Amino acid sequence: MAVAATSFSFSFTVTTPKKISSLSSPTLHTLFFSKTISFSHSLRKTLLLSPSHHTPTRPRSFTLSASSSSSSNSHNYDFDLFTIGAGSGGVRASRFAANYGASVAICELPFSTISSDLTGGVGGTCVLRGCVPKKLLVYSSKYSHEFEESNGFGWKYDSEPKHDWTTLMANKNAELQRLTGIYKNILKNSNVQLIEGRGKIVGPHTVDVDGKLYSARHILVSVGGRPFIPDIPGSEHAIDSDAALDLPSKPEKIAIVGGGYIALEFAGIFNGLKSDVHVFIRQKKVLRGFDEEIRDFVGEQMALRGIEFHTEESPQAIVKSADGSLSLKTNKGTVEGFSHIMFATGRKPNTMNIGLESVCVKTDKKGAIEVNEYSQSSVPSIWAVGDVTDRINLTPVALMEGMALAKTLFQNEPTKPDYSYVPSAVFSQPPIGQVGLTEEQAVEQYGDVDIFTSNFRPLKATLSGLPDRTFMKLIVCAKTNRVLGLHMCGEDSPEITQGFAVAIKAGLTKADFDATVGIHPTAAEEFVTMRTPTRKIRKTSPSEVSDTEGL
Amino acid sequence: MARKMLIDGEPAPALEEEATNFDFDLFVIGAGSGGVRASRFSANFGAKVGICELPYHPISSETIGGVGGTCVIRGCVPKKILVYGASYGGELEDARNYGWQLSEKIDFDWKKLLQKKTDEINRLNGIYKRLLSNAGVKLFEGEGKVAGPHEVEVTQLDGTKLSYSAKHILIATGGRAHLPDIPGKELGITSDEALSLEELPKRVVILGGGYIAVEFASIWQGMGTTVNLVFRKELPLRGFDDEMRAVVARNLEGRGINLHPRTNLTQLIKTEDGIKAVTDHGEELMADVVLFATGRVPNTKRLNLEAVGVELDHCGAIKVDEYSRTNIPSIWAVGDVTDRMNLTPVALMEGTCFAKTVFGGQESKADYSNIPCAVFSIPPLSVVGLSEEQAIEQANGDVHVFTSTFNPMKNTISGRQEKTVMKLVVDAQTDKVLGASMCGPDAPEIMQGIAVALKCGATKAQFDSTVGIHPSSAEEFVTMRSVTRTVAGTKPRTSL
Repeated sequence: MAVAATSFSFSFTVTTPKKISSLSSPTLHTLFFSKTISFSHSLRKTLLLSPSHHTPTRPRSFTLSASSSSSSNSHNYDFDLFTIGAGSGGVRASRFAANYGASVAICELPFSTISSDLTGGVGGTCVLRGCVPKKLLVYSSKYSHEFEESNGFGWKYDSEPKHDWTTLMANKNAELQRLTGIYKNILKNSNVQLIEGRGKIVGPHTVDVDGKLYSARHILVSVGGRPFIPDIPGSEHAIDSDAALDLPSKPEKIAIVGGGYIALEFAGIFNGLKSDVHVFIRQKKVLRGFDEEIRDFVGEQMALRGIEFHTEESPQAIVKSADGSLSLKTNKGTVEGFSHIMFATGRKPNTMNIGLESVCVKTDKKGAIEVNEYSQSSVPSIWAVGDVTDRINLTPVALMEGMALAKTLFQNEPTKPDYSYVPSAVFSQPPIGQVGLTEEQAVEQYGDVDIFTSNFRPLKATLSGLPDRTFMKLIVCAKTNRVLGLHMCGEDSPEITQGFAVAIKAGLTKADFDATVGIHPTAAEEFVTMRTPTRKIRKTSPSEVSDTEGL
Repeated sequence: MARKMLIDGEPAPALEEEATNFDFDLFVIGAGSGGVRASRFSANFGAKVGICELPYHPISSETIGGVGGTCVIRGCVPKKILVYGASYGGELEDARNYGWQLSEKIDFDWKKLLQKKTDEINRLNGIYKRLLSNAGVKLFEGEGKVAGPHEVEVTQLDGTKLSYSAKHILIATGGRAHLPDIPGKELGITSDEALSLEELPKRVVILGGGYIAVEFASIWQGMGTTVNLVFRKELPLRGFDDEMRAVVARNLEGRGINLHPRTNLTQLIKTEDGIKAVTDHGEELMADVVLFATGRVPNTKRLNLEAVGVELDHCGAIKVDEYSRTNIPSIWAVGDVTDRMNLTPVALMEGTCFAKTVFGGQESKADYSNIPCAVFSIPPLSVVGLSEEQAIEQANGDVHVFTSTFNPMKNTISGRQEKTVMKLVVDAQTDKVLGASMCGPDAPEIMQGIAVALKCGATKAQFDSTVGIHPSSAEEFVTMRSVTRTVAGTKPRTSL
């Protein structure tokens, strides 16, 4: 392995104010480590906003040894980097590491649309069981709404359009096969060696893939996560999102348990494909953690499209009846006659049985690998990116983490991923786009904020006659005029939000928005034509604030 | 700069003088986007405002108009409604591979769409009238003329004439489609009529390569009409980025529109089989409808401007300074009648600036930099800032061009062969993003936020530091890592 990275050192910025007496790796790593805990806990609330929160008092220099003991630098490894898991984060880190001159291998489980301890596939969750197949199903299901709309625009069908699930599944799977092939090619073209099999860590520098051992200067764990179904009686009859994306037949009547984005996206998909959809949520509203007004709005719009929400209803048991149909027993009673019951009740990092314990890589109580700001685990030669670290579980974030890691390890450029103002979308119908703080977070962090909202009937709906509406919201710091958050629910929200995310990330003010001329006629122009605040929230006026607190 | 007049060092004297001998502080001729905005905002600042507008009808003439103006009645709004209607044509094709089984026979009922469009326009016309009355603006129906620097005459429907004096007069009469002077031109129609045709034509010939021509080509094609698009240049959409023009041309063709570049129409002849459109290549195109989308001219003919001495340019547009003031200090003009940048949001900006300057005590110049705009072809084009050609011409140093051409995810299953193209033009020295363009689904919606970033001088590094929204098309704008090409600016370096 005549490649880069023998012993290398670089300047490191440490954010911990704590006094550092030793420069040995374990100490360094413990420091980062303790930092990381507070980091991930406070992530949603604070980190999204203010990077300055973590600004160091003064930069300090460290030597980061590539191996756990500095004397082993001469060790000949099979690879500079061995990556376990070829999803978004793993592929990105591997490709870029290879581009920077490192010798890289990556292992991944055999391809299957359903993930397990033994199946996976190059491309990972995003490509095979997440973003991509989900969005393809969203496209398919959206047509029923478009057919309805089109009636209002003069289009007439001799017979109601019917949907054939099998065609959709076949075409979707063909596309997934194509994509997994593309990802394999990407790896090949970057000179990353792909090893099919189950990778397991057996030492700080050793990975076992189905009995064969590989040594590596650095090991990257990017094995992602998997859906989690709570253990209630009859849970074996439930399906998760993996299965829901690849069902043999379309559900006639489906119960979806959960109020998060996955639950809402599938509710929209099956509702669009004309299944009878019931969503069971523990809370009063869907999408905990999102802006309260968005939560209300999306719930209303989805209900108008025919989805039945069962709020404050927790599942207790699933019963399969003689005719094969399923009943869901909840704290409020029993709903019968489901062909499918889907749990969208969260995801768990895939850290079971990959050998983390054997080398003492620390995980948190959810099983996520604990890492510092450079994605380094408690074992200095072992790193982790993506959902397995449970920071912000989004593909583009895993890409950012993977890229930053490649730079840190192989380009002498220690790079921290920047979690401020990460935009995101929910592909519900209608979809949501958001970036920055919610109103509740903004009030908590800034006190005085101005809220601009617009709730309107889009031009298309005035013609189609459907009850669709669009909701938009800007949250502005009263003192600095900076736009702190932007939220939208309505057609094209995800596409619309991206450009604004650039503006908000760049720290632009409401005045900058106002100075921009609109593109007419669009929905997006509403964001640059919001003249009057809907409300001004001031710390000095507790009555107003109390309305939005305690959420 | 020569026309930058008295306004400097004279901070909004209007309200202070409060000359009570005028009937109105402001009288506006023309209740379109610019006129209505200026009236409402002036009234909000405390001015007494009157506005006049011609009677309402979808098709405009010297004596027909309507509150709402071109945008609402004969432009943006009805056009977009028809684009929506036409988009379903392509959507239905795309649906099949997504598992939808559609009946063999799908009808498109043009009359139904037309009726609903007219209903919507009527509704909006009413809304605009209410906006005016709620703002306390007095609306007169009739034809307005300038009778003097402070004098307006309104000829009402019954022929009676009203005369009012006003401290300030604002002309916001917009523009109208212009017909080329060829034999048989009376057989052709303009976009006004095209938005309100009794029957959906089976065959159309469109003359023109501008955005109106391209939009109507897409509208009719989507509704199943055979479309021939005839234009003089090599590519449609002169003035836009050349690369994007080629993309639009390719997409139009890909959707089934017949393009006739470097072609003009020389004559229209009525035949039993329809209208025969003869090209300068001697080709004969048969059509049920021939649309002239050959430009628009400002509505200044019947305003009596010459008599009062208001200067016009050679196209008939009213000449104004940066504050929208004409050479007669009490007469102002905004919107298409001034032929600056003929877009609704620009007229709104000019109207707002006018009201602030004259009645709000804040001198305000409209800012024409980085104004985004969209062409609602199917798929649409949207741009903000400089084209590659403009950037090269204006840059001091090198220009980095980033492009991305990709198959949108929806097409992977629908099978539609149509690429989305995105482009960023970046100043190599400053890293500032000088221009952005996109042709593909949702481009206009996507471009608005990008426009905010460009307006404030965002750098490529700032684009790169923004995390993508996955999976979207828009995320491509923040993930363009490698320069497609670097071109040296042609502007001579003066700082050496």
